[in-house]
Amino acid sequence: MTKRNPISVPDGYFQNLEQRLSRIPQEAAAPRPVHRLAPYVAFAASLAILAVVGNFILRKTAVQEDTGWDYVSYLAQSLDPDGLVELKETEELSDEDIRSYLLASNISVEQINMTLYEEDY
Amino acid sequence: MESPEQVFNKIVKDYSERLYWHVRRMVGSHEDADDLLQDIFLKIWTALPSFRGEAQLYTWVWRIATNETLNWLRKEKVRALLRFSSADELAAQKVEADPYFNGTAAEREIAKAVARLPEKQRQVFIMRWWDELSYEQISAITGTSVGALKASYHIAQEKLKLNLQDSDVSK
Repeated sequence: MTKRNPISVPDGYFQNLEQRLSRIPQEAAAPRPVHRLAPYVAFAASLAILAVVGNFILRKTAVQEDTGWDYVSYLAQSLDPDGLVELKETEELSDEDIRSYLLASNISVEQINMTLYEEDY
Repeated sequence: MESPEQVFNKIVKDYSERLYWHVRRMVGSHEDADDLLQDIFLKIWTALPSFRGEAQLYTWVWRIATNETLNWLRKEKVRALLRFSSADELAAQKVEADPYFNGTAAEREIAKAVARLPEKQRQVFIMRWWDELSYEQISAITGTSVGALKASYHIAQEKLKLNLQDSDVSK
């Protein structure tokens, strides 16, 4: 295998990068305007998640077959990331199950990540 | 006595370009590398008051960068899952779609194969092969023994050879 750098950057990128990074101390000291919007964003996100979870529950309760979904559905409703880990350890859980759980849950990606990789935190 | 801002600016000047290349190779695209580098230097600035000088500045800066990069990759795994994809495939797709990749088709295949390596093997491979750090330096940064690093590097190399055996790039 030969070594030659095949990747590049936009023209002037490193000069611009150095300037941007040097502004971090000033920007970190200044209050960020996004903080003022945070409650409204959180409220809108909650409504969206409620709609997704509601839709999920309605669809699942319409199907009466016992496919093992009850427990996943229960976890989704109880919003328990530890339960997902427990389920993963005790039963064969497909990627599809995990995806559905994640889509239906109210748990942030960061929170799930911290739970799944808590030994690294 | 230098102010924290002066120390930080020196770190930016001395490390930003080198860390960019490391992060870029780890995450696979310019845009992600640029975003992650901002986070890394914000973390460095935030953690600067706790730097006591027990470790070399070099080791300390690299340790923050590599930890933040691994954390980003782990989050990317979850993001990939939510997109009904796998992190490996997502990373390979990013290499494929990278507009700032101007190598040959064979070099792109190598980059994609590296992107598919497990995170820690990818990290060791990139730090050794591309960043040209010694095993002792990598050991100080990652806290992994030199023996384990050599094993990881060897395994990564073997996986790359296996993945690239049908093309001329492994020769």
